[in-house]
Amino acid sequence: MTISEPLARTIIDPKSYARREIVDAAFAQIRAEQPLDKAELPDFEPFWVVSRHADIKEIERQPDIFHNGDMSTFLSPRDGVERVKALTGGEPNLIRSLVSVDGDEHKALRGVVFPHVTPRAIKPLEDQIRQIAREFVDHMLSFGGEVDFAQDVAFLYPLRVIMTVLGVPQEDEPFMLKLTQELFNNADPELNRRRAELTPEEMLKSLWETTMELEAYFAAVTEKFRANPTGQINSLIANATINGEFLNHRQLMGYYIIAATAGHDTTSNTTAGAMWALAERPELLKAMQESPDRINAFVEESIRWEVPVKHFMRSAVSDCEIGGRQIKGGDWLMLSYQSANRDETVWADPFDFRIDRDQNPQIAFGYGVHVCLGQHLARMEMRILWEELFKRLKSVEMAGPGERTISNFVCGPKHVPIRFTVN
Amino acid sequence: MRKWRCRNCGFIYDETLGLPDEGIAPGTRFEDIPEDWYCPDCGTEQDDFELVDY
Ligand code: HEM
Ligand SMILES: [Zn+2]
Repeated sequence: MTISEPLARTIIDPKSYARREIVDAAFAQIRAEQPLDKAELPDFEPFWVVSRHADIKEIERQPDIFHNGDMSTFLSPRDGVERVKALTGGEPNLIRSLVSVDGDEHKALRGVVFPHVTPRAIKPLEDQIRQIAREFVDHMLSFGGEVDFAQDVAFLYPLRVIMTVLGVPQEDEPFMLKLTQELFNNADPELNRRRAELTPEEMLKSLWETTMELEAYFAAVTEKFRANPTGQINSLIANATINGEFLNHRQLMGYYIIAATAGHDTTSNTTAGAMWALAERPELLKAMQESPDRINAFVEESIRWEVPVKHFMRSAVSDCEIGGRQIKGGDWLMLSYQSANRDETVWADPFDFRIDRDQNPQIAFGYGVHVCLGQHLARMEMRILWEELFKRLKSVEMAGPGERTISNFVCGPKHVPIRFTVN
Repeated sequence: MRKWRCRNCGFIYDETLGLPDEGIAPGTRFEDIPEDWYCPDCGTEQDDFELVDY
């Protein structure tokens, strides 16, 4: 039996992610009744819904069998994928980034930036990032006692951090924020390019326009950094060679775009979600102030809690068995990180926000060879911000209803109005 | 010889094979890998590897 149409629609509808408890309830039912089963909807290629933590790990552990680049890496209706193929000359993904390539190409591309984002490599950035964090804490305090923490702090701080690391000038940050939001939040009329409800066709058209605008911007970046190389990440990308040749146009653009978009929106959503959790739990702020050594547990739990990347897709190259089910070559699979991070067999109380977990094997960064490239940077910048915030915050509560983005891919809270007092 | 798994990303270090690409000869025990080595897939440090039985 396949997953029923209403249940399948719930877990793919961007609107349900704006009311996350609906998605959580649907996945709880799926984990209990059909933890690995197919969804068959008339407008989509059939896809497996992978809801359990262990099954996602098992799949991501086998990148030779489960590819990223053969089919769309995020859930997209059949005619959307066809239009993308027409635009790219046959590739199922509009952007050729690390998440849409496999094998040797992936290894070589990942190797360009990887050595510069290991825990050891980013340690020297700590002081500079703390400086930025303090600036944004001061900015928040300047609002007096009320602020939309998502819009006025959480969206801006990770943006400044990643743009500094990449080598993008501060004056270009608003442009980068706007285009990132257009790219990830196409279904949300408040954030997309047209500021309107879009048909699938309009969505693809505006995605394409956003991509072209980003490409125009980054073409100049390549020139700039080839003329004057620096140690910044965009310069590494611009000057990288594979087998003696510079990256080709699609590889270059894909790399710049993923770093400049995934590099802040994810962290921003997590930070906003953590503040929302805190504002609803007075005892949590108190606990963090009594036990500052719980900071890493707090950050890890906030990543598990928010899961800013809701899913990625894989496709099977050959037949294989996962979780007792027979997967066929050519099958498409939706890895739901949101579901896996609520897996009752891993966490006894997945719907509680807890900083006293012995272990927290959250899988919001994915797993295996594609595991998030920026995970150590993301953890570090969030730890630093919260260290600075916990020193100052005396109380925080919601000042109105929070609001989540309409999106089923990279998303989270877009408004977190809070009322706060400081020490 | 033993195998070690990165807790963060699942990368397996197999002592029998070593990692010749990274200058770690086949047969190198996990304890004998240079201190500054980290997981080649995710950057996690050596403390976060666990012994796996195969
Ligand atoms: C809380 C913050 C973040 C979360 C939850 C997150 C999540 C993810 C996830 C789920 C993946 C796919 C992993 C997989 O397929 O197994 C990924 C990949 C990636 N992330 Fe992040 N990310 C975050 C922050 C960042 C940051 C700060 C950067 C900046 C450099 C970044 C850059 C990337 C890149 C380049 C990839 C592609 C890696 C590959 O395919 O090899 N991410 N991230
Ligand atoms: Zn690893």
